[in-house]
Amino acid sequence: MILEARDVRKSYGAFVALDGVTLAIGEDEFVSIIGPNGAGKSTLINVLTGALELSAGSVRFRDRDIAGIGPVALARLGMARSFQLVQIFPELTVLETLQAAVVSRLGLSAKLFSSLRSDPRVQADAMEVAALFGLADRARTPTRALPQGDKKLLDVASAFTLRPQIILLDEPTSGVSTADKHAVMEILVRAARQIGLRSIVQVEHDMDIVFGYSDRIIALHQGRVLADGAPAAIQADARVVETVIGRRAAPC
Amino acid sequence: MGGVFHAAILFLVAAGLQLVFGVQKIFNLACGSFYALGAYTGVAAVGYFIGRGGSPALFIVPLVLGGLAVGLVGFVVERGLLRFVYDRDETFQLLLTFALVLMLEDLIRMTWGAAPTSTGGLYLGYGQAHVLGTVVPVYNLIVIAASLTIALAMGWLLTRTAFGRIVRAAADNREMAEALGVDLRRVYARVFTLGTMLGTLGGALVIPATAAMSEMGIELIVEAFAVVVIGGLGSMRGAFVGALVVGVLRSLAIAVYPELEMLLIYLIVIAVLLWRPRGFFGAAAA
Amino acid sequence: MRAPFTVLAAVGAALLVLPQFAAPYYVTLMLPFMAYAVVLLGFNLLFGYTGLVSFGHALFIGVGAYTGAVLTTRFGVRQMEVVLLAAGAAAAVVAAPVGALCVRYVKIYFGMLTLAFGMVFYTFLLKFYRLTGGDEGMRMLRPSLLGQEWAGFSKTAYLIGPYYYFSLAVLVLATGIMWRIVGSPFGLCLKTIRDNPVKAESLGLSVPRHRWYAFMVSAVYAGVGGALLATPTGNVDPTLAYWTQSGNVVFMVLLGGFSSFFGPILGAFAFIFLQDAVMSVFPYWRLVFGAVLAALVIAAPGGLMGLIGSIARRSPFEAARS
Repeated sequence: MILEARDVRKSYGAFVALDGVTLAIGEDEFVSIIGPNGAGKSTLINVLTGALELSAGSVRFRDRDIAGIGPVALARLGMARSFQLVQIFPELTVLETLQAAVVSRLGLSAKLFSSLRSDPRVQADAMEVAALFGLADRARTPTRALPQGDKKLLDVASAFTLRPQIILLDEPTSGVSTADKHAVMEILVRAARQIGLRSIVQVEHDMDIVFGYSDRIIALHQGRVLADGAPAAIQADARVVETVIGRRAAPC
Repeated sequence: MGGVFHAAILFLVAAGLQLVFGVQKIFNLACGSFYALGAYTGVAAVGYFIGRGGSPALFIVPLVLGGLAVGLVGFVVERGLLRFVYDRDETFQLLLTFALVLMLEDLIRMTWGAAPTSTGGLYLGYGQAHVLGTVVPVYNLIVIAASLTIALAMGWLLTRTAFGRIVRAAADNREMAEALGVDLRRVYARVFTLGTMLGTLGGALVIPATAAMSEMGIELIVEAFAVVVIGGLGSMRGAFVGALVVGVLRSLAIAVYPELEMLLIYLIVIAVLLWRPRGFFGAAAA
Repeated sequence: MRAPFTVLAAVGAALLVLPQFAAPYYVTLMLPFMAYAVVLLGFNLLFGYTGLVSFGHALFIGVGAYTGAVLTTRFGVRQMEVVLLAAGAAAAVVAAPVGALCVRYVKIYFGMLTLAFGMVFYTFLLKFYRLTGGDEGMRMLRPSLLGQEWAGFSKTAYLIGPYYYFSLAVLVLATGIMWRIVGSPFGLCLKTIRDNPVKAESLGLSVPRHRWYAFMVSAVYAGVGGALLATPTGNVDPTLAYWTQSGNVVFMVLLGGFSSFFGPILGAFAFIFLQDAVMSVFPYWRLVFGAVLAALVIAAPGGLMGLIGSIARRSPFEAARS
């Protein structure tokens, strides 16, 4: 098990966002987390990635309790994430964004006196990821000038550049038109295979995408795990269909 | 008691600062400059009054009127300068108020020169009183009473009038207030003018006890800054408590170990910023 | 906008030959410009590249200046190289704890904390007169440059000759080092932290730690600049650490343009010479400067470099470069 949550609770005063969530993500798994709005999906991602402190319970990454170690340390340990509301560096170019991730991964962030431009590893690595994500031709574009879909890709691409052991994607295709969603997923899956990233967790709303790519699906409802299993089992689970998938939208 | 007098003046300036910060989210570095402006105008008003045969016993009237009147310049500043930067990063807003500090400093110097001026011993004409074992000029007591009254009046204004409700709504949630039809431009203009007037009034009232000097604005801002940090940014009660703390502590420090004076205040500011950035009454810190 | 090599070369050449052609008065005016340019290079690392506005940088200018004064008068150290190194080191030593405390806060709280620390130092300089000379300050004796006493030189000859070139060399060195820093992996990380701290953290970059490093580097530059500043006047006093001095530093950076590398240097130049030009006709330079700052904030936040950039963009000059 790479990532485990045990009875995780998160409350904001009287409001309980997560009410005892237990799950486990293994090596080589593509897991989708689904659920209606307000189910606690993003909160769960934030807790798992150290961006939010949990109120109770524990999260373990490679069997190490990660309570309170924060997103920076987690990134160094091998966990990466992308954001639901796309997060980029507006004044930096695509290439610089990816270079920053490489710099972080190689531990060069405190090197004040070495020239970035002349470091071949940083250049090559960043361009490689850019190519994987189809952003190579826009490498020198400032990210604020990119269309929304490309910004999303960059958010994910920069997380991939860390060559993490597990990546958590918060709605990687939101804001992308339905026609392009599959294209994005293909890029993602292919890139993951290329860099040897085998554990992927995503929060996703589009059921076609969810059923098309997942090894396992976890359905969340009102802060609790409603169901956790293979796509076929989830599809057959009446409670999930009722609360999350909805009858008309269920894929046939 | 000198500490309480100083606190009373500080409260006025700080209240103006808090009002502007609370509603417009701008830390007005020029509040000290308005304070100085009020001081110089107050002296001029009193001088004019006395020169025209006014009774020395009534000197407080032109003093207050002069102080309040010059506060209207806040309206000009808000409409003419400040409103252009409401949508900018707070750094730029802060820098604009710094620009004001520079301009006002020289404008004051141009109008009144660099030498200190004062109303002389006029305030002693009100006599002295025995309070808590010390001798205190009655004038000081008048100012303290006035400041307290204004504090209560501000409280009443903010909680019991329609204007006050609008102001608090705009302070809490700008977008919501706008969506509810509040004309933010007018609110901002009025709030800033009111804040400025509090500052100029404070400057005018302090004059009889000291003198108007060209550096008084720049020196005051750091004290006012200490007051709002300790009390909590944006809070009126904070201005009150903060002013008391700073005013009294400063007097104590001067009495006990003069070198400490402001040093103690700054150290407290740093301590507050580190342990409880929101101060006593402020909203949650960033 | 990156100034093309030809412009830099031309400016460099002009600076080299200036003492031969210009009146001594203007040459001595170049000295505070160069000192402030060093300060501003460091300040902009913190402001333009890391996104933190310090309202207390005068603290480090003061530390540097007083280090120079203390070393030359109390410890008999007269070599400028030693003074500069000590000034930078002293600034770093002070910046380490101050920075560690301040960088955990952002925006207005960072500004307030740095302002408070700056005023603490100012008060210390003012009140502890037995140590610091109080409001009269301390003298700083003429240091030796490159081992030479230059004893035969009058004060003016020293300043417009050896000291001018020494300062210029320090400025060039400081610029070169800063150029390297902003082009380094560290520089890139600062920019990510400036643009989006949350994203930077998710990529494994510690926001407080990098801000702390940037803070210390900028303090070292301010300290060195402070020592350079003190030598021509031969006197240091607490006003060097007053909050309005910090405000002037911010003004200079804004004037020159904080989003470009050379903007701050241009800002220092413009400030010093504009101040001189205004003061010679009109004693109320603050009024003019306040108006200029207001105009900048409202209409031209990119400063002079921003204005030059937008003019250059309309010319074939810029088109040829891309």
